[in-house]
Amino acid sequence: MSEAIFLSVRGIRKSFGPVKVLHGVDLDLPSGSVTALLGENGAGKSTLVRILAGDHHPDNGSIVIDGSPVAFRTVAQSRGAGIRLIAQEIADAPTLTVAENIALGSLPNRMGFVDFRAMRDMAQGALDALGADLPLDAPVSKLRLGERQIVEIARATVGASRCLIFDEPTAALSDAETKRLFSLIERMRERGATILYITHRLDEVFAIADRVCVLRDGRVSMDAKVDEVDQPAVVAAMVGRPVAAHQDHHAYVDSGASKLVAVKGLTSDSFSNVDVDVAPGEIVGLYGKVGSGVPELAGAIFGAVPYTGGKVEVAGENVSFRHPGEAIARGIGFLPADRASEGLLRTRTVAENLSAPSWRRLARGLFISRAAESRAFTQWHKDLKVRSRPDGSEKILTLSGGNQQKVLLGRWLEAGSRLLLLVEPTRGVDVGARQEIYHVLRDLARQGHGILIASSDYEDITEAATRAVVMVRGRVVAHLPQEEISTARLTEAAGGGVNA
Amino acid sequence: MPDQVQTTAVESPAATFGARARMKAPEWAALLVFLLAEIAFFTVNSPYFLSWPNIVNIVTALAITGILAAGGTILLIAGQFDLSVGSGTAFVALMFALAAQSLGILPATGVAILVGMGIGMLNGFLVTVVGVNALITTLGTLAIFRGLTLSIGGASSVRVTGFDWAIARPFFDIPLSALLFLVIAIAVAVVLSRTVFGRTIYAIGANENAARLVGIRTKKTLFLAFVISGLCMAVTGLVSASQLGSTSGTTGLGLELAVVTAIILGGTSLKGGTGSMFGTVLGLLIVGVLNNGMTLMNINSTWQQVAAGTLLILAVSFDQVRQRFIRS
Repeated sequence: MSEAIFLSVRGIRKSFGPVKVLHGVDLDLPSGSVTALLGENGAGKSTLVRILAGDHHPDNGSIVIDGSPVAFRTVAQSRGAGIRLIAQEIADAPTLTVAENIALGSLPNRMGFVDFRAMRDMAQGALDALGADLPLDAPVSKLRLGERQIVEIARATVGASRCLIFDEPTAALSDAETKRLFSLIERMRERGATILYITHRLDEVFAIADRVCVLRDGRVSMDAKVDEVDQPAVVAAMVGRPVAAHQDHHAYVDSGASKLVAVKGLTSDSFSNVDVDVAPGEIVGLYGKVGSGVPELAGAIFGAVPYTGGKVEVAGENVSFRHPGEAIARGIGFLPADRASEGLLRTRTVAENLSAPSWRRLARGLFISRAAESRAFTQWHKDLKVRSRPDGSEKILTLSGGNQQKVLLGRWLEAGSRLLLLVEPTRGVDVGARQEIYHVLRDLARQGHGILIASSDYEDITEAATRAVVMVRGRVVAHLPQEEISTARLTEAAGGGVNA
Repeated sequence: MPDQVQTTAVESPAATFGARARMKAPEWAALLVFLLAEIAFFTVNSPYFLSWPNIVNIVTALAITGILAAGGTILLIAGQFDLSVGSGTAFVALMFALAAQSLGILPATGVAILVGMGIGMLNGFLVTVVGVNALITTLGTLAIFRGLTLSIGGASSVRVTGFDWAIARPFFDIPLSALLFLVIAIAVAVVLSRTVFGRTIYAIGANENAARLVGIRTKKTLFLAFVISGLCMAVTGLVSASQLGSTSGTTGLGLELAVVTAIILGGTSLKGGTGSMFGTVLGLLIVGVLNNGMTLMNINSTWQQVAAGTLLILAVSFDQVRQRFIRS
């Protein structure tokens, strides 16, 4: 392992509007080494790598490559310096073929005309290096998710790439594909390439990385050689000091009340043979990282995502919802993971957004008035501490993320739902509003609501859950009673999983 | 369409209210100002322009476009299109005329309503059940029903006798066709702003995914919206047959463009989720007044098309610039 520094980052700061994401990050990436980059959601990992890829521009700080400072204005400039980012979300051209996708961005040509033979050779070479056998002429839309990820990785390796950045590459890969990826990374390192590898899986860190760097709240909280640290030390660096004890605490006491929902052997593309149930007064934390099937499971219970096997019982009765409307009628509420694309009625008012599931009840005959919607909102405005006008007459998009989330939660209180399925309830929510949401959830549980939190954020589970269920790659791998829920236990269970 | 401003960041209350005041005023105020400017201009240039008979003329000339635009507004707010309205009108009128010859007026009216509903159901089925994009579906049915009208009706026009109710003038010298337009416009305005159905239309246009997840039967609602558009075609087919006393293959040619122009001019976003019937009426009047005034000033009708097209592009460009201004 050579000690020459290929890429060096000093004092990088980045804010999006009022939100500070990176507060001065320093990082050195030596040639011929693999650096694992860890950190919880929102720690700033993706922002940092997007800056390196020229996709975002830092507010402050410098990037030095091979000893000379650079300032990337575009992705093309970063590529020109030999940096390739394999992003977490697949960003391929679905209608183009495997070969075309791999050559995209460095398409071989003769006087402006594509050299198809050279393109196929290039693609085949890249796939061979990965030990992958994919049809060069098939459109990538026909491939499995994991295979598309392989195509993305192959694309990053062609041309003059000197630094590869992987953003959680194995989430969609099978175990065999993961092994082949690791051996590719091994060979790239031996050739002197610089690798930055973002992951949530601690076992992967110790399997392939030379160095480990942990980001917490936009700062580097650990930067060390892998053989100098152990797993608990890495976890400690990720989660920081223990979270301050909260003033209120809700413990579930089993009163023998019948379950609000019981799921037995539920199976689909995203999860298999899952059993989980929720009783009144209980907050069940369903914890899992990307690819765990956790959000899909919540959607399946609600009738929003189809499932292929198993059964769902609501209040002891077998149900099979074909439409969310049927689940709502049975007293179930659902908070989707992506507020913008699945939750908000973006052009409408706050009051309308809150009352949407209850329009029929609030109406007199066919007619509904703004006043009825406002009354419905005003009633929850205080309980939920929504920072808005008391009548909710402003547009929903003028509120901050946390307040939008409270309105979407309020929807189901107004609708009288007894079982709440909350997917990523605090995603994109600032720290203060986060605590308020936990507080509301504990209150709701005390009042007899049953809550299922489906989340990839350990804090949701440690703060609010009365018991936890951990999923990895579509399967339940651990059950934790309340007294055993800790960030360390969760991270360990979700990180170790089937590989451990 | 200021509602599309996409700010999720925390704003200070003062900034929020400032932006809102800036946003709120121009939504339809700008349209109203433009309409008044038009009216002032033509009043100065033509002494006849602001007379009662001419005002009635303007509204009467808008009746058919306006009735179709009422159904079209519901659809576009929900994020959908109906381009088949012009040829649908012609097909309904032809079916009515043929049925009237053999069955009499009253049964033929029933036939017209069924045919209109049928066209709406066909569009709705293709869009919501089969899943074809609305633009493509109704472009297809536009061609189909124009073609059917021409093949069945032949080259000459089909006469309709004893069916001249639309030109009767029961109140204030206003023809029934114009009154019918006003009634339908008010009804649609009330449906959109005051009923649960109206709320679900806005919700679907704002975010179809989110609407489904709050329990709205999005497909059923959209199907119904297409059927309403079909019913509007039934009404305009009858109005057209009554106004002209006949129908032919060129009936309602190009209406779909006039309808879409008025709706978009009236502030309904192509992306759905915003807009109102009031805005559509303003859009209709802006185009109607322009055409009427230019006719009074003896400007060739071909230039009226140029003016309407220019106006549409200017209005939408203005809106884009305004949105960018608000966002920054």
